[in-house]
Amino acid sequence: MTRRTLLLPAIVGLAAFGTLLLAAPPKQKSQTATKKATPAKATEAPTLSTATISVGGVNDIDPSKAFGSKSAPIVVEIFSDFQCPACKALFVNTTQKVMDNYVNTGKVYLVHRDFPLPMHAYSRVAASYSRAAAHIGKCEPVEMALFQNQEKWEANGDVKGTVAGALSAAEMKKVQAIVESKQLEPLIEKDKSIGMTFPVSQTPTTVFHAHGQTYPYAGTLNYDTLKEFLDQLVASK
Amino acid sequence: MLESAPFNYRRIIIWIGRLVLGIVFVYAGIAKLTMPNTHLWPWFFLKFSISTNLTMFQQQVESYKMLSPETAGLLAHTLPFVEIVIGLMLLIGWGLRLWATLVTLIMVGFLGVVTRAYLLHMDINCGCFGTPEKLTGMTIVRDGALAALALLMTYFVFTEASKPHPWTAPEKTA
Repeated sequence: MTRRTLLLPAIVGLAAFGTLLLAAPPKQKSQTATKKATPAKATEAPTLSTATISVGGVNDIDPSKAFGSKSAPIVVEIFSDFQCPACKALFVNTTQKVMDNYVNTGKVYLVHRDFPLPMHAYSRVAASYSRAAAHIGKCEPVEMALFQNQEKWEANGDVKGTVAGALSAAEMKKVQAIVESKQLEPLIEKDKSIGMTFPVSQTPTTVFHAHGQTYPYAGTLNYDTLKEFLDQLVASK
Repeated sequence: MLESAPFNYRRIIIWIGRLVLGIVFVYAGIAKLTMPNTHLWPWFFLKFSISTNLTMFQQQVESYKMLSPETAGLLAHTLPFVEIVIGLMLLIGWGLRLWATLVTLIMVGFLGVVTRAYLLHMDINCGCFGTPEKLTGMTIVRDGALAALALLMTYFVFTEASKPHPWTAPEKTA
């Protein structure tokens, strides 16, 4: 065979090979895109239950943000805003002691209600993260982290970083997915609408339910005074 | 023949000052004790309500950032009662020079404090009447008007007190 005879098939073969090379990448790209899509499915939020319960005549309670025995004689609702300094004072100085001495002993059923105020830029975000953390069983550590670091995140807006400091990486991933899915936002809106019925005019507002009566109290509560009040409320008929 | 006390503009101002400032002070004192938490019965509810209201007033005093927490606490727990006493004494009219002077000092003090907070653009509650009330320019106008009334009343009280009462003055002979 002559060189010319060999040249033509070689050119055709090279052209065919080149065409195959050019055609392959788009298929590879689509495969890559498909492969990239798969990890995104892993961070999708699980479908959460937004069912609420009623305790002691108090309705629409999110059980993940409520503590204590459902047969407690007193139900206490605390409407608070994570960016409110008075709410921080109440949480740090009073609520923890109430948990230890009244909630854990079955005297009080404590309900945390979110009431983000419009003048606080990041309180709604903080409420969302707190609610999401509550639904994975991490309500208390996240609330503690948010209140204790309130000055930091209200200055720089880094609510996510503050919450991440209180959770493991896996927990934070779940919380982030829940926040992004906005599944729990209706529960926060429900808390706000319940607060408007009293009406809650400032935070914190603590509502005591006992013996069929309702007593809203605005402002921070000193533990010593609250202790005396709760003891008398439990003892009264 | 006995003459009644002269009826002049100074006495009118004194009467207006006593009524307005007396009522305002009594109301302010009672409001700080009983608002915004107004559950007053039974007895332990009254105690708890007053305690929570005074705690809130203490926070409002602290928000002015002029006093230490201890001093703010002392002031918060005494000022409402002082206001009630001063207001009642003004309304009764006993020892007017003393109570009018105290009212003037308090009102001038309040005016200075709220003006300072306003000029520093402090986003705080006034803490004047128990319920949350943002500190605005109108707060300064209101406190300024009451301080001016107190000053005027006190000046006229001292002026009137320096003149002999018609009942004790020697009778004019023709």
